[in-house]
Parts: sequence; structure tokens; C-alpha cells
Amino acid sequence: MRITLNRQTAELPDELVEEPLLFVLRDHFGLNGPRFGCGVGSCGACTVVVDGQAQRSCVYPTSAADRREVLTLEGLAQRGRLHPVQQAWIEESVPQCGYCQNGQIMAAFALLAARPDAGPAEIEAVMDGVLCRCGTHARIRKAIARAQSRMAGDA
Amino acid sequence: MPSLSRRRFLIALGWGVAGITAVAGGAAWALMPTLPPRNAPTPADASAWLSLRPDGFFELYSSRAEMGQGISMGLRQVAADELGIGVDRVRLVQPDTSLIPVARSTVGSDAMRETGVLVARAAAALAGAVLREAARRLGRPVAKLQLAPDGIASRGETILTFEELGTDAPLLVTAEDVETATPGLLAGLDGRREVGRAYPTYDIDAIVTGSRPLYADDIRLQGMVFGAIVRPQTLGGRILGIDVSACRSVPGFLGLYRDGDFAGLVASRRGALAQAMGVLVIEEEEGPDIDSAALAGMVDIVGQSGGLEHSVLDTGGASAGPFDVDLTLTVPLAAHASIEPRTAVARFDENGGLEVWTGTQDPFFVRDSLADAFGIGRDEVVVHGMRMGGGFGARTIVAAEMDAARLARLCGRPVKVQWSRSDEFRAGFHRPPSSHQIRLSADAAGRLTSWHHAFRSGHIIFTSAAMGPGLQFGTSFVADPGVARGSVPPYATQATQVGFEDVRLPVKTGPWRGLGAAANHWAVETAIDALARAKGIDPLDMRLKSIKREHSRLSAVLTAAAEMAGWRSRPEDSPDQGWGLACGIYKDMSYAAAVARVTRSDAGYRVTGLWCAHDCGLVINPDQVRAQVEGNLVWGMGMALKEELFVDGGRILPESFFDYPLPVLSDVPDIEIRLIEGSHEPTGAGETAIVCGTAAVTNAVAAMTGRTVTALPVKQA
Repeated sequence: MRITLNRQTAELPDELVEEPLLFVLRDHFGLNGPRFGCGVGSCGACTVVVDGQAQRSCVYPTSAADRREVLTLEGLAQRGRLHPVQQAWIEESVPQCGYCQNGQIMAAFALLAARPDAGPAEIEAVMDGVLCRCGTHARIRKAIARAQSRMAGDA
Repeated sequence: MPSLSRRRFLIALGWGVAGITAVAGGAAWALMPTLPPRNAPTPADASAWLSLRPDGFFELYSSRAEMGQGISMGLRQVAADELGIGVDRVRLVQPDTSLIPVARSTVGSDAMRETGVLVARAAAALAGAVLREAARRLGRPVAKLQLAPDGIASRGETILTFEELGTDAPLLVTAEDVETATPGLLAGLDGRREVGRAYPTYDIDAIVTGSRPLYADDIRLQGMVFGAIVRPQTLGGRILGIDVSACRSVPGFLGLYRDGDFAGLVASRRGALAQAMGVLVIEEEEGPDIDSAALAGMVDIVGQSGGLEHSVLDTGGASAGPFDVDLTLTVPLAAHASIEPRTAVARFDENGGLEVWTGTQDPFFVRDSLADAFGIGRDEVVVHGMRMGGGFGARTIVAAEMDAARLARLCGRPVKVQWSRSDEFRAGFHRPPSSHQIRLSADAAGRLTSWHHAFRSGHIIFTSAAMGPGLQFGTSFVADPGVARGSVPPYATQATQVGFEDVRLPVKTGPWRGLGAAANHWAVETAIDALARAKGIDPLDMRLKSIKREHSRLSAVLTAAAEMAGWRSRPEDSPDQGWGLACGIYKDMSYAAAVARVTRSDAGYRVTGLWCAHDCGLVINPDQVRAQVEGNLVWGMGMALKEELFVDGGRILPESFFDYPLPVLSDVPDIEIRLIEGSHEPTGAGETAIVCGTAAVTNAVAAMTGRTVTALPVKQA
């Protein structure tokens, strides 16, 4: 099977098609962005974007990604420029341990790509599903607001 | 099914009788358990931490692990200022047992207090050595040269770059250099550029892009396979039989490896490993039929007769009552719930040496434990410390490292073991449940006359997760200092009695952020608030008039937090909204006070305002100190409103986060923080605000309902 991974075509050996997408991304493609937190979709640390939709890659069968576009944390920056969400994450100094932040950034990215002017309730509805144990929540909220205004300004 | 009856099994483990039998203890003592390194760092240690490398960068070998608390950036800032350079020129290397002298664990919010000043001294010493070396090379007197951000300057112009200077052997310092160095860190504000500046966490660029390996799971070795441990699912359970016949049809399954009671599966892919674990059949002799209520009963302080096992403080003059406030408070079992599960990669080389990559709070304890377990020299084991995806006390013992090393030895290949989330809950250790009987009286003017706090808790420092029966027995007569932490009130009282019992529970308990200070401060701050209500005194005034004079820094943070929140002009408490405050001192070094505003909606209690004033002395990196304050306050909110790890039918119930709710974005309001520098030396911030976050929230709930919150977490009304 074949997927588009971070805008590049990638072939996958047959024996991997039933593997959860997370393990293919981490162990076959050697990506560090998507992370294992729970294996059952309860924390969101493994979030990637498939055809524009945020997906929990630990429970997403690789076969379901056939001929789809998979975007990971590694694919957000383009031509050496960080995506406004990543930029906002640095400017608001969001991460503590950093482990969940892939999920936070990817979930926020997918949300803002679909709904650039998402309001507080909509943001909470999405981001409540991505767990952070360090307590970076207040900064996540600020970073999303910052990314929104940056994206609006760039448009 | 089990052949032993439950009752017989209970006795065999020693839980059916009081304590652990002397026979079991005596036998295990002979084995000399591996103990974690305890010595404080010395100038000789520090002399090995910092050097100028051939590429012109200063390399700082950290002796303390990074788990998001910010020590890596903080130490770079300290070193940079002494050297007169920017932080970008200081490259930090995470703790690695092959690079640094033996160092003790990263615990107790002590990393900056214990190593910050030593790093400053080492850097000051290195600055001198760099100037002397430059003088020698240039043939000029040292007095004519200065350090500049990019090299050595004379009359304001760089005449020798660090790259040029570093080209030979790495430039090092001696223990004597470090001992005699006079760092600027503690001298005052002059010359500080990096210390006091706000920086995000070290490696943030890689965290937001995934651009390079940071955590143990990012380590991928040639020929590496994946392993998982076959564990009993019940507390005190024992595996009687393992049937892997169904696993054999899973492509990628490589086998079951056993060594005594240890058993693990190995697979070439993680999906295959998960699949094999899913079809594995185990026969388990189940442990005792314990549930949360039984655990609560084991730590019930009220049922205790006779004197307490351990006294923390007894001024004499104990009152026989009656008391103005007489509360029994309960704290449940709770999990660390770091998002990164314990993960380690282990590889034996052809000569029997062992190399391990892991996120650990105690790399040398891991090294020594592995060396002793495999009967090899400590210098034959190398532990590479990786960034931790959350520590919180959970990574203080040896866990996935031993799993990975044992499987690597058995299967002959490098092995990565990443605990499942279920392993995290069922094989990890947890914050112990505790109960607190706390009785207070005050005179008509509100002056405390009597403070009596008796509590009973599972072990913390003497954790059964790391200690075999011998050590458990040996420590059974010694007060667990982790349980005692934070139990002495900061309030002046005519007569104070604080004492406790520590009890060995059938669930593994151990260090959790703040140790006993989290539960004890909640009890103390709940009680003083209840006394204020009983006496009709404002909770702020009650505290300010009661805080002992020597704790003026506590009064200062309390006053500041109240001012930030507008405490004096707050609206009157109502059934829909209440205000609470709390304060405390962490380990006699750091101070925090918080105010919480809680509102009630159909969805339950919600914290809608949170203010905190915090004093950890000299602030190296205000951004990261603030982050720690925020984190502790969110932990306090979780403790107050959400977290309990349920046990039923002899097993820990949660297998994922679906069953263990954590605070989420909509639970957390904007948080306003003020940092006060009440001392010229840095102390610690990693756990400090845990002393006030929980009680600020529950006191706000009490203000709304008029009833003191006596059990955590608050039942959502």
C-alpha cells in the first residue's frame, strides 16, 4: 500500500498494513512526533492528521490510511518556517515535559485548519480530549488564541 | 484457578497477620539490597560537569534529570552568566553515568538548590581557566583580557574566539578551582544577564517539531525488538501458568522468555507484541479480594487505639478537648499518570557490558541495581538519561530498565520495553491513601490554643515498589519521612501534637509530587479554614494572625495572593460561588499561597479564578518557575475535584485514561502568578505550590456550602 506522508509518497510493506499507524510512523518511518501514551485512544498523544482530520494513530489501522494524506508533527513546518501553531507554542512557552505536546499541537492545528475562528467552547470541546499531566492548559489556551490571530493576520 | 484458598494466600504473603514476618525479613537482609546513592554533590563532582569543547561550545553535563521542571535551561543560564556568554553557547547533556561522577536522584525540588550554586562555581572557575589559557596563548597578562560572548576580548574587541581556544584538549577545571571560585550568582544583580530571564524549556524546538530524539522511545537500535512483561493482574497475584500457543500464529511474535517468576514476550513489531499479549492465556493465583473501601479501612486513623507509632512534634500540654474543630479527613489512592509510560531500551555488548537508555529520576540507582542484578561491575553498565515525559516521583525506582535488560539478556538482542497504560496503573506505585484526625481550638480572640493532628498513611519513601521484604521489615519501626513531610503547621499554637502511623498496604505506594506534603497540607489548610469559620474570623485574618513570626515569607506570599485576587473586596460567598485560600511552606525552603474562586454549574464545581504568590528565593528562570506553579495548581485541582484510583476485586481498576480522569483544558482557568524573591539563593519550585492548590479549591467549596470538605475528591454536587 501507499500513503502520502508529510507530502511525500511512501510505500509500505504488506506485513505492516495491520499495524496501528502509530507504530508504523514511529518504528518504520522513524518519526519522533507522534507518541505512545495509552494505546487505546484515551489521551491523544499519538494524534496525527489524516486527510485533514485529527486521528488517534494508536488505534488507527494503517490499512485505513491507504492512499490518504498523513500529516505528522514533522510535516507542519514548511520551507524551514514553523507553522503558526508551532510558533505560538514557543512564544507562549507551552511545554513542560513536552511528551503530550504532539497531540496538543496536532489537535489544535487540525481544528484551526478547519475552523480558523473557533470559539472558546469549540476549542475546549476538542482540546479536552488531549490530556496533559504537567498542567500546561492555561498556556495551551493562550497559544491557540495567538495562533488564531497570527493565522488571521497572515491570510 | 488458584489452588490456594484466599485466606491461605493472604497469610503466605504476610498480609493476614500484623506486619511482615521476621523470618522473611531476616532471610532477605542477607542479600544486601542495592541502595540509591545519597551523597550531596561536591566541588570535585562539579569540576567534571563543565568544559570548553573543541567546537567552541561550553558543555554542561547535568547531574539532574529533566522531566519538564526546567532544570536544564536553568543550569545553562547559571553557567552562561558566570562565563559572560549567552545560553546558546552552553550545550547541556542529560545525566549519563559514563560522563559524570555518581549523583543522587532528581527529587524533592532540590536540583537547583543543590547543583545550581555548584554549577556557578564550576563556571566561574572555568572562566578563570579560559582566561589563563588565553593569556598563555596570546602571551599577554590575564588582567588585560576579558570574556566576551564569542571569545576572549581585549579593549572591547574579540581577539581569540572560543573555537580557536578550544581546538586542543577540552578545557577543564579542578576540584580546587571550583572550591576557590567566587561566582557572581549570589553576589547580587550586577552583571546578571541570563539569570532572571524567561526562557522556555530546553529542547522546545524539538518538542514542537519532532526533529530529534528526546525520550527513551526515540531510541532505535540496530536489531532491536520489543518486549512486554507478563504480570499478575491482581494485587499480590502470582502467575501459575502461561500459554503462548495462540501467540505463535501472530506474525512477528518471537517468543516467551522466562527466568524464575519473570516472564516476558518479545516481538519484532509493537503491533505484533500487543496482539500476542492480547491472545496470551495466563493462569493466575489471585491475591486477596481488596477494594478501595478496604484500603481506606487500613489507613483509618479513627479506629486506632493507643498512642501513635511516630511523633513529629509534641510540645506537651495536650488538650483532652472538647475542640472547636474536630475533623476526620480522607485522601484516596491516586496515580502519577505521566503521559509517557515507563520506557527503556537495553543492549548487552559481546563482553557482557550493558547499556540502557531511559527517562529516570535516578540513573545511578538504575545503573547499580542492574549491575547487582546481573552480577557485573558498576562500570560495565552505562545508563543514558533521556528527557522524561513526566516524572512526579514515579521514576525514582527501577522498573522498565530491569524489564528491558532481563529480556535483552534472555533473548540476546537489544530490547525496548514500553509499559502499557494498564501496566502503569497496575504495576506502578501510587500516592498512598491516608486519613487525618485533626482537632483544633482557639481562644475568644482567635489565638490557637491546641493543634492535634494524627494521621495514618501507606508508605512513601520506604516504598514496597523498590524494597524487598527485608528492607520493608527493617524500616517497619522507622518513621517514613515521606509520610511526615509537611505535617508541622506553620501556625503558632500553645500546644501542638503531630504524630502518625505508617502502614504497609497491599498496593504499592510511594513518592508522588510533594510526598506527604500534598495530603498533610490539605489537612492543615482545611482545618485552619474550618476553625476560622467556627470562630467567625475571615480565613485570611485567621492565618495572618496565626503564622509564626519566623515565617514572615509565608505571610508575604499570603498577603500578596489575597491582594492579587482582591480577597478583601470579594463578593459574598453564595451557593453558586465561593472563594477559598490556602498557604504553606515546602521543605522549610519555599513558600506559596493561592486563592481559588469556584463556581457551581449543572456540570459541577468549576474553578473559575486562580491566583498564586510564590517565593522560591532567587529565580533563575521566571518562565519555568511559573510553569511549575501552574502545574502544581492544576495538580491541586485534580486532587480536589477529580482524582481517585479505584481498586475492586483485588485489582486496580483503570486500564486507560478513560477510567482515570485528569484535569482538562475546560477545567483550568487563566492563572495569575506573582513571584517573590525572598532570599538571594535559589531553593525549589517543582512541588511547592502543591501545598496550597488543593485546599484553596476545597475551601472555596466549603465557603459555598458551609460544610468542610472532608473527603477527596469532592463529590460533584
